[in-house]
Amino acid sequence: MKLSFLVKSLAGAAAMVAMTGPALAAAQSAPSPVSLKGDVMLEKTVTENGVSKVQLVEPKVVIPGDHLLFTTRYHNDGAQAVTNFVVTNPLPPAVALSSEAAPGTEVSVDGGKTWGQLGSLKVAATEGGERAATAGDVTHVRWTIPSIAPGAAGEVQYHGIVR
Amino acid sequence: MNTYLIPLRRAAGIAGCSLVALSVTAPFANSAHATGVLAGTLIENTATATYQSGSTTGSVTSNKVTVKVDELLDVAVATLSTAPATANSEPAVLIYAVTNSGNGPEAFNLAADPKISGNGFDGTIKSVVLDSNSNGVYDPGVDTVLTAGSLATPVLSPDKSVKVFVLVDLPAGASDAQTSQVRLTATSQTGSGTPGTSFAGKGEGGGDAVVGLTTASANSLAALIASLANITLTKSATILDPFGTAKPVPGAVVTYSLAAKVTGSGTLDGLHVVDTIPDGTTYVPGSLKLDASVLTDGADGDAGVGGSSGIDVTLGKITGGTTRTVAFSVKIN
Repeated sequence: MKLSFLVKSLAGAAAMVAMTGPALAAAQSAPSPVSLKGDVMLEKTVTENGVSKVQLVEPKVVIPGDHLLFTTRYHNDGAQAVTNFVVTNPLPPAVALSSEAAPGTEVSVDGGKTWGQLGSLKVAATEGGERAATAGDVTHVRWTIPSIAPGAAGEVQYHGIVR
Repeated sequence: MNTYLIPLRRAAGIAGCSLVALSVTAPFANSAHATGVLAGTLIENTATATYQSGSTTGSVTSNKVTVKVDELLDVAVATLSTAPATANSEPAVLIYAVTNSGNGPEAFNLAADPKISGNGFDGTIKSVVLDSNSNGVYDPGVDTVLTAGSLATPVLSPDKSVKVFVLVDLPAGASDAQTSQVRLTATSQTGSGTPGTSFAGKGEGGGDAVVGLTTASANSLAALIASLANITLTKSATILDPFGTAKPVPGAVVTYSLAAKVTGSGTLDGLHVVDTIPDGTTYVPGSLKLDASVLTDGADGDAGVGGSSGIDVTLGKITGGTTRTVAFSVKIN
C-alpha cells in the first residue's frame, strides 16, 4: 500500500514537471530541504606498465561501447533529518547497465513497475515465455537511504555502457 | 530524448554504493542497430528522489546531464563471389559488399588492387561499378560505373551496405586456367587510422568522429580465373593417282584434310576454315566435307562453300577439347 501511494504521488509530480514547469518552480519556492546534483564521467581504461586501471575523464568523446559513470550527489540543506530518501534513475535509452548493480541497488526491467535484484527478475523472451533478465534489460535503478542527517551528503552511482 | 520521469520507489539499499564490476557488455536489447546507438544521439540522465521530512513528503529532481554520442567510423568489406570469376575476352566480374558498420552515415573511398602476391597474372582493372539496382548482378548500362579517380560508395546509413562490382580484364600473356586475385579496399571518407583516433567536429550531428576497431578501413580478396582457348590447324594430304597408287601425277586426286583443334577451358567464336585451291589443280566439285558430313558447294543453308576460288567452312563457336575436320579434294591438271 505504501508502495502504491508513492507511485501515485510521484506520477503526479512527474506530470507537473512535464506540463507546468514554471508553476512547479513556483510551488517549490518553499525550497526542498534536499538538493540533487547529477554528473557523468567517462571511464577510460588505461594500461600502464602492463597494469590496467580505470580513469575518470570528462566525456568529451563518447562512442558506442564506452563506459559511463553516472553519479547523483545529494545534500540535506535542511534543519531536520530527511528519511526514507529514495533516488530513482531511469536509464537513458542509449545506455545499458554495465553489469549487475552493486549490492543494495534495486533495478527494474519493466519501466519501473516492479523492482528487485537483477538475478530475481524475468523478462518476456522473444521466442515466447520468460527468460532471466540481464543487465541490458534494466530500465531503472534506484537507491534507498533510510535517513540523511541535517547537513549530511552522499552520492549514488551506476555504471552504464553506451549501447 | 529520455524525458519520461518514471516513479516507483521503495526502500532497501545502501547509499554511495558505487563500484560495480565492469565486465559484461550488455546486449543491445533496445537498439535497432548492431553497430550501436546512432551518432548524434543525446544521452540524458536525470535522477529523482522522494523523501520524508518531518510529517511532510517531498520530491526533488536533479539537473539533467547530457552527453552526445559521437560518430564511430567502421567499415566491413566482404567478397560475395564463392568461386573464381571467369575472365575471357569479356572481363571477370568480381562482387564485393561494403557495409557501414559505424553508427553514422558515411561514404567510403574504394580502391581495387590487382597486384596480389601469388597471382598467376595481374589483371587490369577495367572499371568499378555500384550495384545501382541492388540486384546483385552486374547490369551493363544500368549499374553506375564510377569515375576513375573518384571511386567511392554513396553515403551509407549505419548497417547499410552496397554491392560493388570490379571488372577485371585479362592482361596479354595470361594463359588458360591461371588464377589471380583482386583486393577491394574501402576507407571511411571522414578518416581512418589507429582505433581511437578522433576527428574533432567531423562526426554526424556536429560531434567528433572516432575511428573504431576496424581502423575505418577494410578490404577483401576476390578471385578470377582465365578461361582461354587456343586453336591449332593441321593440314594433311593424301594422293590417289589414276593407277591406284599415290603419285602426284596429272589426273591424280589430292584430298586435303584441315583439322581444327581447340584446346583450353574457354571457347572460340566466329571460326572459319578457309583455304585456296593450289595452282595447277582444279577443285573437285562436291568434295567438301565437315567431319563426316558432305557439304554442298553453293552458298546455301549448310556451313560450307567450295569452288575454284577456294573453300570456306564456318565452324562458329567451338568449346575447348573439340576438333573439327574439314576436307576437300583437288585434281592435278
